[in-house]
Formats: sequence, structure tokens, C-alpha cells
Amino acid sequence: MATDGEGAIAIEETRLMRIIEALSYASIEDYDSCLSLLRSLGTSDSFSELETAFTIFIEELAEAKRQLREALANTEVANRELAAKLATIEMQQAAIRDLSTPIIEVWSGVICLPVVGIVDSQRSADMTETLLETIIAKQARTAIVDITGIDVMDTKTADHFIKMAKAVRLLGADCIISGINPGIAQTLTHIGVDLTGIRTLRSLRDALQVHLRETEQLHPIRGAEAAS
Amino acid sequence: MASVGTMETLETAAAAAAATAVTTMRVAVDEWGDVAIARHQARRLARQHGVAPRRAGEVAIVVSELASNIVKYGVRGEIAVEVGGSAAGGMTLAVMAHDVGPPIYDLEIAMLDGHDDRGPIDPAVLAQRGGLGTGLGAVSRLADRLEVRQEAGGKLIIATFYRGLPPGA
Repeated sequence: MATDGEGAIAIEETRLMRIIEALSYASIEDYDSCLSLLRSLGTSDSFSELETAFTIFIEELAEAKRQLREALANTEVANRELAAKLATIEMQQAAIRDLSTPIIEVWSGVICLPVVGIVDSQRSADMTETLLETIIAKQARTAIVDITGIDVMDTKTADHFIKMAKAVRLLGADCIISGINPGIAQTLTHIGVDLTGIRTLRSLRDALQVHLRETEQLHPIRGAEAAS
Repeated sequence: MASVGTMETLETAAAAAAATAVTTMRVAVDEWGDVAIARHQARRLARQHGVAPRRAGEVAIVVSELASNIVKYGVRGEIAVEVGGSAAGGMTLAVMAHDVGPPIYDLEIAMLDGHDDRGPIDPAVLAQRGGLGTGLGAVSRLADRLEVRQEAGGKLIIATFYRGLPPGA
């Protein structure tokens, strides 16, 4: 290395080339190759101060990049866990919705929706949708809605229940409501709903018996077989 | 018959709710599962305090409707139930629904069946939103008094029951 009178420096081209090579390694994020190249420098002069500063800069950059990648990886793991939890919650919610409207095919062409617990406007709307869809899907001829487990309903929800029964008839199926208790009966008469065309029976057992008797009348041969 | 929250009803509400009121239930609500939890806890709580099955069912419906509304409109919130004694010596049961959602634009309209707080709900919107649009109407029919307090950053709806409850808390 040589210094002229003006304060300018001249260095061997190989040292400059090494810096350029190191920089190109750094640009493709190959910090290991970059640093091993820089650490092999031995000479100690004014240019080596730049080389040392450059080395420290690359070391810090490499460390910052590593930490960033680690943080990103952690976030990704956390995101995956969160997504898995959300999926579980959604599945559970679907399960709860299914449980709140369990529709059972009790006989060929006869589906039964036993309603238990507390019925609010939301549940009432959900039930209607599920019942009507199931009638189509199972090609049911009779739908029995058993409300033995319900002792109270808002008037508007009760009204909607009756509308559900009428919608079932529009689909070409019969709707039987069984197990109406005195409280609900009072609610229904209080709001003055029109019950024409809707059959109400005391229990699920009565509803099934009526259905079977009518099926026998429609198919007398099958009825005779059953009797013999 | 339920009344809408004016200054007068707030005062009578304060007079009716004795100092013995105790918060006996508190459920955070931000999804449908919470609605079911609140509904069942409320019914059990009312039964534990000697409320008849039918009336306890009505309390549970009110809790269910208010909690559903929190999920639908209120972003997130909580349901609390306070049991207390009225000045007249009877039991009172207050269902409090607090949420951080937007204020009710027009309460009178919101209480009409098939309406939200801006007017009649379009059937397509209703189908997507779920329910019947009769929730707040049901609350006003089943509870004895309904108050709505609009607050900065949310609202508090209080549905109070005092008829048909056992004497004394």
C-alpha cells in the first residue's frame, strides 16, 4: 500500500476485489461466505479500518436478519395454532347448531324434529331452515315437530312456528305438531293464529300412530300383510 | 308493559331496585356458543332463586335474544343478571346486556317486529343475518321494563322482571 502527498491512498486490487466479492455474497444473503472472506484479511493499515467497519456492519446485518427470520417463524407457528383453534371453534359451533335441531328419520318418509330447551327467535329461524331442507333432502311425506320439551315461547316465535308448519305443507308434506303444553296453547290462542290445516296431537306416539294408520289406508295390501 | 328509557323510567327503575341487588351471573359474549351458555346459566339461576319454570324460561329467552343481538350487532359484550328486592318487598331480576357496538339509531323502530333500528329488515338481509328480527320485541313483551342507556363507546340494555316472581329475594 502506498500513500501520495495529497492524502489519497493506493491499494492492491485483490483487496478491493475481495471487498466487492464479500458485498456480492452479502447481497444474496450468504453471510457465512461473506464473513469468512472478510475475516481472512490480515493487513493492518488505514484501509483495513474500513474493512473492519464493513465486517462489523455485515455481522450486525446477519444477526438482525436471523432474528427477523426467527420472529417470522414464531409468528407463523402462532398463526397456524390460531387458525387451528378457530377451525375447532367453528366445528363445535356447527355441532351445537346440529344438536339444537336434531332431525331424525323415525320411519320411511317420516321425519321428526324434537324441540327441547329454550327457543328464541334465532333458534326458531334456524329450525325452519333445517326442517324444510331436510324434507326436500329425505323426500319426507310427514314432518312431526314435537315440542313436549318447550314450556314457554315468545308470541312472535310461536307465530313463526305455525308459519313453519304451513311452509312444510307448501312443500307437499304433512306437518304434525305434537306435545303442545297448556302454556304454549294459551300463547297460540292469545295471538289468535290460524291453525287450519295444521294437525296438532298430544304426543309423538299419537302422531306416529296417526301417520301409520293413514299409510295403511293408502296402501291396503301392505296393511293386510301387516295384519295377517 | 315495558317502557322505553326516559329520565322518568330511569328514576323509577333506581327506586325499584333496592340496595340488596347482587350480580349473580356474568358471561362474556362474542360468539354463538356464549349465547347458549348465557341462556342456560340464566335459566338455572332463576330456578335456583325459586322462579317458576315458565317465568324462568322467559328470563332465559330474554337473555338469549339480548345475547344474540350482541353477537349480531354489538361486536362483543357481556350479559349480567342481578337479583334483588323491590321497595315493595318482591323480588326483582334484572338482565343487563352491555356491548361495545354502535348505538341503537331508533329504539321505537328497533322494537317493532321484523325491524332493526333503521326500519323494516329486507328479507334477503334477514336471511343472511339469521333470526326473525323480533328479538328486541320479544324482550319488551316478556320483561316488565326495558331500559336502554346509550353510552360513549357502547350501550347498556336493562330488562327487568318483577311480576310473577317469588316474594322477597
